[in-house]
Amino acid sequence: MREHEALPVLSTRAFSLWYGVHQALIEVNLDIAERQVTAIIGPSGCGKSTLIRAFNRLNDLIPGVRTSGEIVFRGERIYGRGVDPVNVRRYIGMVFQKPNPFPKSVFENVAFGLRINGFRGNLAERVKLALDKAALWDEVKDDLHRKTGYDLSGGQQQRLCIARALAVNPEVLLMDEPCSALDPTATAKIEDLIRELASSVTVAIVTHNMQQAARVSDFTAFMLLGELVEFGPTREIFTRPTDSRTEAYITGRFG
Amino acid sequence: MRGRRTLGWVFALLAGTALGVSLLVLIVLIVITTLQTGPITSMRAVSGAGISLSLRSMDVPGTRDSLAYVTIAQVEGGSPAAGLGISRGDALIEVAGVAVDRPGRAWDAVGEAAGGREVTLPVVWMPRSEVTLGTLRATSTGGGPRVLISTPSAAAQAAGLLTGDLLVTAAGIPITGTRQAWEALVVAARTQGTPIELTLEREGERQVLLWNPSLQAELPFLRDPLRAWWTFLTTLNEPRYPERAGLLPAFAGSVYVVLVMAVVAFPLGIAGAVYLEEYAPTNLMTRIIEVLVANLAGTPSAVVGIIGLEVFARALGAGRSILAGGLTLSILILPMLIVAAREALRAVPQTLREAALAVGATRWETVRHHVLPYALSGILTGTILSFSRALGDGASLLLLGAFLFVTYVPQGLGDSFTIVPLQIFEWATRPQDGFAAVAAAAILILVTLLLVLNAVAIVLRNRFQRRWLG
Repeated sequence: MREHEALPVLSTRAFSLWYGVHQALIEVNLDIAERQVTAIIGPSGCGKSTLIRAFNRLNDLIPGVRTSGEIVFRGERIYGRGVDPVNVRRYIGMVFQKPNPFPKSVFENVAFGLRINGFRGNLAERVKLALDKAALWDEVKDDLHRKTGYDLSGGQQQRLCIARALAVNPEVLLMDEPCSALDPTATAKIEDLIRELASSVTVAIVTHNMQQAARVSDFTAFMLLGELVEFGPTREIFTRPTDSRTEAYITGRFG
Repeated sequence: MRGRRTLGWVFALLAGTALGVSLLVLIVLIVITTLQTGPITSMRAVSGAGISLSLRSMDVPGTRDSLAYVTIAQVEGGSPAAGLGISRGDALIEVAGVAVDRPGRAWDAVGEAAGGREVTLPVVWMPRSEVTLGTLRATSTGGGPRVLISTPSAAAQAAGLLTGDLLVTAAGIPITGTRQAWEALVVAARTQGTPIELTLEREGERQVLLWNPSLQAELPFLRDPLRAWWTFLTTLNEPRYPERAGLLPAFAGSVYVVLVMAVVAFPLGIAGAVYLEEYAPTNLMTRIIEVLVANLAGTPSAVVGIIGLEVFARALGAGRSILAGGLTLSILILPMLIVAAREALRAVPQTLREAALAVGATRWETVRHHVLPYALSGILTGTILSFSRALGDGASLLLLGAFLFVTYVPQGLGDSFTIVPLQIFEWATRPQDGFAAVAAAAILILVTLLLVLNAVAIVLRNRFQRRWLG
């Protein structure tokens, strides 16, 4: 089976995280497999967003955050001494819950990451490539410089954010409930896109929509109150959960 | 939900009404002040007629009354007044039927006259006694002081006056010196049309002569308010006559000081705000700085002035210069600027910062490319508001020791200066009528300038809202 051949590209080892005195993650051990889609599900406040934001050190922005344990990315500890979070984010991109394009032109939105990373080459080509991968090129090719990110529809904005993240060729793409602000049609487009992306990039997606997790992911992690309860191939999690709490959640008894 | 929406409606209605009413009151006040302001008229008269006036007073001989009269202080060469033969030292008795007993009256007359840009007004003026009666000489023949007509004028000769006549009374006033003769003629001239009765002593005999000199002339006054304002704003200051007062030195001083302040405070303020908002770690030190900044923003400007005096003027040796003034104002507005800029930075959505950081931008790249451009309009709004506060502030620079009255335009950073609020203060404390009006004119200019600045701030804010949030 395809799932079992995958190698972990990102793994957490007994990773805990505190917001001040409140512990949001408790000794999480999780391997994210290369070029697979890993979904993290769980009820609100279970720490799934905290976990995904720990992968690219975005939690550093929040005052009073403390961590213990390790997150290893390609053999390097990203919370290690002397690691620049800017470098981490260069390889681990992110798409957020609410579409957050820059208030600049579509082109500049995608080109920004390339520019600041000192890209020397055909900028226009790379922008086209990224927009193509995000299935947005055909819709915006005529307005690249005329329209700003804010002029697009919600679904288009989210795909623009995906293109922006893909432009710098990240190895991992983190998605924090990317469809929660979108209508079903736009959601379906993004879901198709996620499946396509999995052939070239590792995707970790947080979702509170279990059907979505079942549709798009190869692996699923179920979290509860900061703990990783169960992790395994999506099909097994949804058909034969080993933990009673997982079963209770996916059958809709709470959450 | 419905209740909250109604509440918002009520609030918007109340706030809108309050704003509208206060704007209306402000406009009415400005219009009333403009209509009542004298110096505009007086300056118009000066530029049209070419004269400046000064106030004199004298005791009316034989009574306990004193009489105020107005003399011509200066006549511009080539002006209508010069063409009519009006010269320095003449008395101005009446303009267009209005008795002139203080300089403002002449210009009141111009203000009351109907017509277009140019009005011709009948002027009654009393030329100096030497001109009217000829040359007078004080003597002391016969024991007492006497006034002798040494060279009678043509008008006097026509009335029958001869060289060597002694002037005893004029209009019933006993003449004991040339000054009395002059004042008697001024008194007499108030009753125009009635011939003046002169008592003469000629070869030991007293004679009474009736003398009716024509003292009327037509003087055109230009009526051009815009030019008057412009003249006021662009002429150098003159200490004695309100008609010749100019705002240029104070205006230039204000502009220079605010420029120095802008150069110093703007970069510092933005940098401080960016540091506190984007970089500062949350620790005790940061919190202390935040509290200090917030408190400094409320410091009375007089206290800031003392700081400026001690630190910049004395300790650093900048003296009462524009440099010291600009630095003092920087202290005044820096905390306000920081607070305003921080508000603008805080309004930048966190998701925008995250978006930039997530593609591998550094903190500085995030600030430079996304946060600052987004917050720029808000920052500029706060900046302009604090600049207008600095422009209107007088107390800080008063304590620094800025001059109240300056007649030249400062040429460099080391020059002494005055600013518009202090010049207003100086004018307002003068006893003469004219200066109160000049002060009012300067206040109008200052208030207009502040309103324009605040309007710019509002436009910027609206543009910001349309561009990013619409």
